[in-house]
Amino acid sequence: MPQPLLRVQALLDLTWRYSAGSHFTRFFQALKDDGVILALRCPACRRVYLPPRPVCGNCFRRMEEWVPVGPRGTLRAFTVVHFPFLDPTTGQPRPVPFGMGLIQLDGADTTLNHYLDETDLGRLRLGLRVEAVFREPREGNMGDIRLFRVLAP
Amino acid sequence: MKWRRRVAVIGTGQTVHARKRDDVSQQEMVREAARRALADAEMTARDIDAVVIANMELFEGRALPELWCAEGAAGAGKPVLKIATGGTSGTSGAIAGALQVASGMFDTVLVVGFEKQSEGQTTAGMALTDPMWDRHVASAAIGNFALSISQYMAARGVTEEQAARVAVKARRNAARNPYAHLQQPGLTVEQVLASSVLAWPVHMLEMCPTSDGACALVYAAEDVARRKCATPAWVRAVATRHDQPYIGDLDMRLLTMRTLRSAAREAYAQAGITEPLKQLDVAEIYEPVSYAELAWYEALGFCPEGEAGRLIEDGVTAMDGELPVNPSGGVLSTNPIGASGVIRTAEAALQIHGKGDTRQVDGASLALVTGYGVYAWSDVLILSSDPG
Repeated sequence: MPQPLLRVQALLDLTWRYSAGSHFTRFFQALKDDGVILALRCPACRRVYLPPRPVCGNCFRRMEEWVPVGPRGTLRAFTVVHFPFLDPTTGQPRPVPFGMGLIQLDGADTTLNHYLDETDLGRLRLGLRVEAVFREPREGNMGDIRLFRVLAP
Repeated sequence: MKWRRRVAVIGTGQTVHARKRDDVSQQEMVREAARRALADAEMTARDIDAVVIANMELFEGRALPELWCAEGAAGAGKPVLKIATGGTSGTSGAIAGALQVASGMFDTVLVVGFEKQSEGQTTAGMALTDPMWDRHVASAAIGNFALSISQYMAARGVTEEQAARVAVKARRNAARNPYAHLQQPGLTVEQVLASSVLAWPVHMLEMCPTSDGACALVYAAEDVARRKCATPAWVRAVATRHDQPYIGDLDMRLLTMRTLRSAAREAYAQAGITEPLKQLDVAEIYEPVSYAELAWYEALGFCPEGEAGRLIEDGVTAMDGELPVNPSGGVLSTNPIGASGVIRTAEAALQIHGKGDTRQVDGASLALVTGYGVYAWSDVLILSSDPG
């Protein structure tokens, strides 16, 4: 028998500090102070973007016009996840099953991928109306939108 | 794209791919593929002018593969370039290598792609996404695909059975490829649909595996290629498209897939392809999940929208069909991420070299390669026995 080959284990525990920029700073402030979801509209193509970002990728124009969107919207895609993957906010596997959707908030042109309060496939379908459920108290980050609640038809 | 001179793939080599290649370090694994590609090209390390390495170092948590693996890739003392673009790393590396020769910069380039997923945490690497937004709403590659698939199924009427057939085709093809990771010659549609659901409607057996492995190819300029290789695989077209950052920007992703449609249109125009299903002899496309292959059939113009399910049912893309897709078994059977796009390119070249052995498509002379990365990045290459 050849000698078994080694595996060397390594562990990292590090902290990063990211600059949010003016667009996310404004977005998170409105979310925390007023419970309002803000999006940005491109001055050229008029597309309303969520998440907000400084530049429209299609037009390469700076966006300055803020537009309140939601908190209600329409389900444009959905799934129920059974595979426990690593939750980046906790570093732990996320409990399964959970519902996920692409939600087009009223007033927005892009969709938002987010969690749903429904895991029964029989009750999920494209076009359902949904509503954002906020965390209380709000802290001013994306975790303030907890998930989306499926509204009764 | 202006080409200053012709460039061809004249040698390919890959490792055996597996869930865990504990028997080798990264450097040894890279060398295994590089050595085979050099031998196939009848060259030595000294004959190589420059090296391109494709790897997603975040997945292994070991920075600078172009430093630690360059010796194994014959790169010491030479220009070494690293490419890391998610799933497209390998095809982007293959495109970069081709352009380095086509531009006149180098006469010979070795491209090596590798990943050793067993060493690290691929999901942790993917979790290191945009910290402002994406990390709070992440559902990994499987969840993101599943979302897009729900739209694709609703719009095109594709069934779970049709998608399962893609996985069956892939794993049966893989059984004829001695290097493939998942070889399942007897797999059935029923078994695929009976496997656990990862994220509806995606079953375990219709998602790509996580693999360890490496793949390499040798590019040469025309004079070297004609001297060294009886049937050079000439690069006739390359195209790359990236897109906007968030998954919600790309609504109807599988349905529209504007990056792949646009890249394919450009590559077909470069190579003079007007009827891809008729003209192409073989395709090696990057299908991380069964449904993606069906969506790519439409985006690549193999069939009108809504007919991809019929294509797989009728066996049009099977080994004995009109256009065999992924004789290698594809990404569904083997997925060492940084290598996956190099494998697509090398397998396409292998077909033109006539060295496909039990997975050879008779008389293959025009081959399509695609890469898929992150949410919606696309690469397309076209290889041909005709220098054009």
